[in-house]
Amino acid sequence: MTQYLQDPALWALIAGTPLAATAIVRGRKARANLRQEKAELEKRAADLENNYAEAVQEAHNRAEEATKSALKSAMRTLQGLANEQQLAISKTQEKYGEHQLLQDLLEIDHMNSQFGRRAQSIAVLCDGWLGRQRAVASVYDVVRSAKGRIRHYTRVEIRSQSNFALVSRAVEPVALALAELLDNATSYSAPDSPIDITIRTVPKGVCVIIDDAGVGMNEEEKNRADKLLSATHATGVTGLGNPPQFGFAVIGVLAARYGFTVSVDSASPYGGVRAVVLLPEDLLTNMPEPVEQPTTHAPAAAEQPQPSGSTMTSSTVSGSTAGGLPKRRRKGSISIVPRADSTTAPARTSEETASIMGAFQRGTQSGRSAANPNREGHDPQ
Amino acid sequence: MTAPGEQEPESAQLVRPYVITNGRGLPENDQFNLITLVTASEQRPPSHLDPEKRRLLELCSGGYLSVAEIAGHMGLPIGIVKVLLSDLSSDGYLVTRAPAPPAQLVDVSLLQEVLDGLQARFG
Repeated sequence: MTQYLQDPALWALIAGTPLAATAIVRGRKARANLRQEKAELEKRAADLENNYAEAVQEAHNRAEEATKSALKSAMRTLQGLANEQQLAISKTQEKYGEHQLLQDLLEIDHMNSQFGRRAQSIAVLCDGWLGRQRAVASVYDVVRSAKGRIRHYTRVEIRSQSNFALVSRAVEPVALALAELLDNATSYSAPDSPIDITIRTVPKGVCVIIDDAGVGMNEEEKNRADKLLSATHATGVTGLGNPPQFGFAVIGVLAARYGFTVSVDSASPYGGVRAVVLLPEDLLTNMPEPVEQPTTHAPAAAEQPQPSGSTMTSSTVSGSTAGGLPKRRRKGSISIVPRADSTTAPARTSEETASIMGAFQRGTQSGRSAANPNREGHDPQ
Repeated sequence: MTAPGEQEPESAQLVRPYVITNGRGLPENDQFNLITLVTASEQRPPSHLDPEKRRLLELCSGGYLSVAEIAGHMGLPIGIVKVLLSDLSSDGYLVTRAPAPPAQLVDVSLLQEVLDGLQARFG
């Protein structure tokens, strides 16, 4: 044992054990600390990452908003100018209607319409001003209006008409959506191939069907189109891609906002794309009455009994002039005193009449005979 | 989208004139001038006629109407109306009549000779 006691190794062991124990304990503590720190750091990193993502999203939103509001006000100005120009062109067209100049004016008008449409489309994506409120218009006229807003409008053929009209708030959005569809149809098909439009009445409303003879869309394009067309929220200006593709995004926004549906997932009989716009019943109304209607059934109206006791015969439209202007009958005298012939004179029997006439006769005779002496008296004889 | 009160007071036609003629140029032949008279023919127009053409036929179904009057009633430039008229008349839905020629004034010297002759004989 003593030999062991004398062994320095033992002493070293004895001295070393607590040291080692202390070192181990310290190590453990340090490790625990480190672990805790690590966890904290990780948490902080995750927080930072989250914050960062949020910040990025916020910055993105803010940028989107800023872009939108800048574009919106810019487009508002352009749209106003395009409208003003359109009115000016209309007036000039009236003025030079007979002149050869009209041809050029029509071309300028066409360019102006396209320009206006572009500005409108961007405005729609920026939640901006859509344009003028229109009067109720027939579906056929809305389709024709849409046709006039694209470059190659002469390729578009409207095969059918409809007896339905669109309510005034839907006229401009539907025209714009159709114009964007037609623009796509003409852009993605051969330069001289026709685009056919068919208007069909279906139980749920009216369908406008646009068929092109283009190359159609591949799966990826179809998916993108479907996503944009059924979008519940606007894609925004920054998600349009480069070069920006406005068409489907604009149509999607309009369709969601005004409650019509657009689908482009079927193929046209010509191998291209068939786009179907379904206008639901609440956007439809009956055809408006023409403002200047040549009335041909008006004599019947003239025969309607006048309200009894009225001394005025109101003017009634009867027939029309050759020019289509309504012919009006001469108004009756507008007098407050009842007309003599309209007051019903009490009917007299022939005896009464005879006695009245007899009294009149006797009266004049007696008057003459009574006057004669005076007259003789005045006679200068 | 459109805030109330933000609407333009005036708005142009929904269907622009170049769409009505489908981009066709003005007719080359001078078949129609301002005072050419037209009227609807006996031929019944088909039901799918454009609204403008139908309206034009309705306008002149009552008798002869001049081109200028038609343009005024339709609110369209005269050139556009001429395109519509030439379509309708080539399809046989319209009959045109040349305007009555203005009275030809006789030469003054001829009148003078007649007068001289009369005076020589009876004067």
